[in-house]
Amino acid sequence: MNIKSVLESLMFAWGEPLSINEMSKILEIPANRLTALLDEMMAEFHDNENRGLLIQKFGNSYQLTTKKENYEYIQSLLESTVNKSLSTAAMETLSIIAYKQPVTKVEIERIRGVKCSQVVKGLLDKGLIKEVGRLDKPGRPVIFSTTDEFLRHFGLSSINELPSIESEKDDNETESLSIDA
Amino acid sequence: MDYSVNINVFQGPFELLYHLIEKKEIDIYDIPISEITDQYLGYLEEMMQFNMNVASEFIFMAATLIEIKSQMLLPQKEKEEDPRQDLVTQLLEYKIFKDVSEELKKYEDESSFYISKPREEIALTSDTKTEQLFLNEINVYELYNIYMSLIRKQNFKIVPEEKFKLYRENYRVKDLMEELTKKVRKFRQVSLFNTFKEKKSISKEYVITLFLAVLELSNNRGMKIYQDNVHGDIIITSQERK
Repeated sequence: MNIKSVLESLMFAWGEPLSINEMSKILEIPANRLTALLDEMMAEFHDNENRGLLIQKFGNSYQLTTKKENYEYIQSLLESTVNKSLSTAAMETLSIIAYKQPVTKVEIERIRGVKCSQVVKGLLDKGLIKEVGRLDKPGRPVIFSTTDEFLRHFGLSSINELPSIESEKDDNETESLSIDA
Repeated sequence: MDYSVNINVFQGPFELLYHLIEKKEIDIYDIPISEITDQYLGYLEEMMQFNMNVASEFIFMAATLIEIKSQMLLPQKEKEEDPRQDLVTQLLEYKIFKDVSEELKKYEDESSFYISKPREEIALTSDTKTEQLFLNEINVYELYNIYMSLIRKQNFKIVPEEKFKLYRENYRVKDLMEELTKKVRKFRQVSLFNTFKEKKSISKEYVITLFLAVLELSNNRGMKIYQDNVHGDIIITSQERK
């Protein structure tokens, strides 16, 4: 069995990001070994100029995508590309969840100063966030976190790749606001 | 004629306030509350003139601004906290996420250049047991002749069936729903696959009735039903999870 070859076929057949655990279960090979192989494959795909595909990593999942430099050709092939970009309200809400996760809706609403039920529901439907449990506080509010789909949407390989917010407030060093990511 | 237009120019009071502060190039740590309050109220008035829905959050902020303004008018003791402090802290926190969401927007744009496929169900052709009759090699007249010769040979009479047996149902959706609910209460989490396995032999009727019971339970607010993979196990849990 050529493991790399199998992995490539699996990712092609699945289409969406495929988790390392799933691949490990199918191949009966420990996840850490597969991770090493997949990292090699990522580099091989990236470096081979004759290939039009890439392997991208989103959290614990891997996915085949096209290369960026071929975008305009794909665009001419597809009649119209679906606009997947999120609204300002969704972006703000998602940012708060990404940096403060796990976080309650009340906290999001406190920061944004507006009701967020609809936006949160929309993000849940899109699979960008998920419920991860409830807070052990009065009312037992639901807490939310981002998903691997969130990473995929923004092209991040892990949550640690989020732009740092410390540098955003360089001109206001006197004010210390603690943000726990 | 009176018609209402609802344009969401500003997502919330913080965004509006922040816009006013930026426009005037005001130092966020020293907001001229009186001036900002006037402008803020002016904007709300404008929104109302255009018959736009002014959300309650905007009104609440207006009240907060007026409250701060009146506190500022009172003589302040030296060590007392600046009445604007809370507002400034909140605005700064909002600004952090507003800025970062604009930054993330760039990431979103960038990632849209990489095309990937959505998950599709690929039906694998299985070579076992599925036999198919290929009729396209016979034309309809041949088929008719074969059919008629069979009828003649067997001396069939085509009569509608007069009697058929009605069986009593062995399982009822209602009963299985109760059974499942009890189980979920006891174990918190119930796997559909394991429930099937508990029976020594399972009939088609049981499988179908149990599945219908699961579907019925999905209407129940207290239940959460999910499946991680296509064709995978179905898990039923109570919403009250820790």
